[in-house]
Amino acid sequence: MIWLTWRQQRTETLIAVALLVALAAVLIPTGLHVASVYDQARIGSCLAQDTAGCPDALGAFENRFEGLLGLVTWFTLLPGILAILIAAPFAIELEQGTFRLAWTQSITRRRWLTTKLVLIAAGALLAALIMSLLLTWWRTPFDQLGNRFDTGFESEGIVPLGYTVFAAALVIALGAVLRRTAPAIGLALIGFIVARVVIGGFLRPHYLAPLSATWSGDPATTGPDLRTAWLIRQDLSDAHGNAVHNLPSIADACGSDLAAKFGDASCLAQHGVFNHAIYHPASRFWLFQGIEAAIFLGLALALGAFAVWWIRDRVS
Amino acid sequence: MSPLSAAVETRSLGCRYGRFWALRDCSLSVPAGSVTALVGPNGAGKTTLLHLLVGLCAPSAGDARVLGWAPREHPLLVLPRVGFVAQDHPLYRGFRLSEMLTLGRRLNTRWDDALARERLQRLGLPLDRRVAALSGGEQAQVALTLALAKRPELLVLDEPAASLDPLARREFLGSLMEAVADGGLTVVLSSHILADLERVCDHLVLLRSGGVQLSGPIEEIVAAHRVLTGPRTDPASVARMHSVIQQRHSERQTTLLVRANSHVYDACWQVGEVDLEEIVLAYLGLGMPAAPVRREVAS
Repeated sequence: MIWLTWRQQRTETLIAVALLVALAAVLIPTGLHVASVYDQARIGSCLAQDTAGCPDALGAFENRFEGLLGLVTWFTLLPGILAILIAAPFAIELEQGTFRLAWTQSITRRRWLTTKLVLIAAGALLAALIMSLLLTWWRTPFDQLGNRFDTGFESEGIVPLGYTVFAAALVIALGAVLRRTAPAIGLALIGFIVARVVIGGFLRPHYLAPLSATWSGDPATTGPDLRTAWLIRQDLSDAHGNAVHNLPSIADACGSDLAAKFGDASCLAQHGVFNHAIYHPASRFWLFQGIEAAIFLGLALALGAFAVWWIRDRVS
Repeated sequence: MSPLSAAVETRSLGCRYGRFWALRDCSLSVPAGSVTALVGPNGAGKTTLLHLLVGLCAPSAGDARVLGWAPREHPLLVLPRVGFVAQDHPLYRGFRLSEMLTLGRRLNTRWDDALARERLQRLGLPLDRRVAALSGGEQAQVALTLALAKRPELLVLDEPAASLDPLARREFLGSLMEAVADGGLTVVLSSHILADLERVCDHLVLLRSGGVQLSGPIEEIVAAHRVLTGPRTDPASVARMHSVIQQRHSERQTTLLVRANSHVYDACWQVGEVDLEEIVLAYLGLGMPAAPVRREVAS
């Protein structure tokens, strides 16, 4: 059964391998280049200690790789493509009716299902792991610069594994119900993107209640480290984090223009105006990764269980 | 243990998809060593019945025994002894024939590789040929080869010749008959091409949506049916003695197809023999023999 599964998956597996090789061929040279520029421009020491010339160096570094970074952000769709490649042979088998040939050899339907699903899940996890390791390594310099949640969350760490297995399970479940490969893949792609947008866009900020900090605008006071945090909202408030009622008149008195983000910080502080931020600290990155990976793996398990039930009871 | 007299036995077997019964109240027995044709109109549940026999479907009602066991509950006691060719003989299109044989070897406990290779060689199909490059007839032959290489006690074929052109069909049925002649094999095959059945089969099961309509050795079925032709009358008097399967009345003449429970003695009827195709068509309600009297029979 393992031989049969491998033989059926061979072409698609080789395409997936070629895709990963192409990914490595793009990421490894550019990643080495980015890392060397990062070292030469002493970005690391700038981040540790702000010295003269650092803002320019940081700006130049960010500008230089802005296009490349935007391109690599697209790779967050790769889990869907890898999953479709790995799960498509399963849908094709159900479409073409060859499962009837397999199920009437001397094996049980349970063994057929177990072997196929375990191998597909293992293949999807392995492909996603390689992709994630490449991207996580490639993004290391950028992750030092700022908020890792924004651009790195969906291509780094363990969430790509959850995405890939989820997309594969979606192809399998839809393939079992529809018994047609092309519509199953099309719908799975739509479902995959919808799930990513809904969970990433609406659920992710609520995995944990964000932290709230209020600190004086006096330059002598330092607030929380927001450079690497996931900032939900930042504004001016009173000492308790509530809105300041007479903010326009205070601003006038201090000669500040809030719309232009220009203000005399110590004057505002004297009038009882504080900084207020709602944010997820950078230390939550891996916890959020774990939660999101668990959500997608849980969905994948539910879809897999549904597909098993459907195939055992309804496919003949 | 005494040798099994029935290779397949079903009792009130039914299968339901949601609220739709694909097969209902099907009771039949297939004697070991027979070649049994399963005929019936589209939607009578032929494919469902065959799927029940090889465990692809689970019974919703009644039960099936194949070589003594329930196929769905005991797949590993039934499947190794049963060869099955599904409708449209599905094969992995990208595989080479040698890989199809590897599949058979790896997925079966009983597998006669030499038999498979010899059969393919006889068919002139090289092992490095891809399935996709074969004609429909050749694919059907490969599917039959895979089923036969299990050295099955029961061979189940679902419309094996339906998609083939007449020549390929003749070759396919020829190789099927060779395999049967080797002995020890029970065959159940469904077909809607009635002409094939008489050549190949010795038993018949006629399935309609209500269940099994007719079942038994073809010789007995043919011997039991008669066409009666006589002056136009009400067939009630005949119906008291024999079951009237179909009747047709013209202005002056009445033609009846009956299952005769004894000899037909009534002198006012001309009694004629019918062949299997005509009997089957009559049971399916698809017309009456146009020229009913073939030969006079002494009654």
